[in-house]
Amino acid sequence: MINLIGGVPLYVLEFGDELVYFTPYTITLFLLALTFTVLVLISRPEKQVDIAFGGDAYRTKEISVSEMRFRRFMAIACGLATMGAMVTGDIFNFTLFTAMVGITNVGIVAAVKSLHVQDAAYQYGLVALAATVPLFAGAAIYAAVTGSLSMIELMKGTLPAVPLIAKGMLMLGVIGEGMAPFYAAKAEMFRAPGAPYVIMCSLSSLLLFLRVVEIVMLG
Amino acid sequence: MIIRRISHILCNYDNLTRLFAGACLLLFIAGILLLPLPYSEKQLYPKTFDRNSSLDPYDRGGPPFTQVTIVSQYPENSPTAGLVTSYLTPFSLFLSQVTLHLGTTIVSHPGGIIDEILYNTRGLDTVVEATILFIAFAIASYIYRKG
Repeated sequence: MINLIGGVPLYVLEFGDELVYFTPYTITLFLLALTFTVLVLISRPEKQVDIAFGGDAYRTKEISVSEMRFRRFMAIACGLATMGAMVTGDIFNFTLFTAMVGITNVGIVAAVKSLHVQDAAYQYGLVALAATVPLFAGAAIYAAVTGSLSMIELMKGTLPAVPLIAKGMLMLGVIGEGMAPFYAAKAEMFRAPGAPYVIMCSLSSLLLFLRVVEIVMLG
Repeated sequence: MIIRRISHILCNYDNLTRLFAGACLLLFIAGILLLPLPYSEKQLYPKTFDRNSSLDPYDRGGPPFTQVTIVSQYPENSPTAGLVTSYLTPFSLFLSQVTLHLGTTIVSHPGGIIDEILYNTRGLDTVVEATILFIAFAIASYIYRKG
């Protein structure tokens, strides 16, 4: 029996054992990630202006082209990883894409010359690093209990039921990549100049969360 | 009032690692309490260990250039799986004859063992893993150069 919130897969792309499938739900998320990645690719970044309170003084922050270029590269890599996570049909592959989103998020702000932002990015990096433990542990329990990692097989309902703890671990792993209540560091990372690149951090973890909700409903 | 206090703790990113560690701890304790978990005997990728084989644990068996059976979820998607399991370059062959640990060199040794499950049926994983590594190198080298 196929029982999922995303609907029946409309198209399945075969990569060996790792199927990539598109349901109305995952297509929506995929298109959102794709649109934003294209926006990052073609748009010109903002320039931040600091205005001193109670006076006329203001200063524009100068950001070098090479730094912006690096940040755009990281934002695009983050977009690609998010797109991969949206459509993959394999639990382990999903965890890998999630880990990749975490590291590219650090990369987006790593080059910013602001102590505050770098402190926040460091704390975020630590949490994202630690989050891979429950993330991959969740995938390992999926494999041990059901004997398979394919979401298509989980959908069919013929495999043993997935224990709640595996779903919880997968969920905690994704939440650690920057969802509430572990959002504080990410919110501080937004102080970095260079929208729309920094917005990619937020969008990627939001989309990841929406996807993991679908995944834990399977099996 | 209590919400204000909680948000005050949550908004400080210095507490973040401790909070996350606490959340992990709670979940892991719940996990230990929920033991034992059932183990499916019908595993997709069965593994047999032959400690005497120098290719262990990547020994998928079979003579060179003869297709051996590799268990996979969708065999129709990997028609060539199992063809190159025991192909070794002359150097790898030499290593496999003098040491019992060639299986540990799978990633650091070009032309070594090809794990059919890892590289053929689960090829996308291998690509993403390598990409994560390269992204980490890119960040580190950028910071090193500019820092």
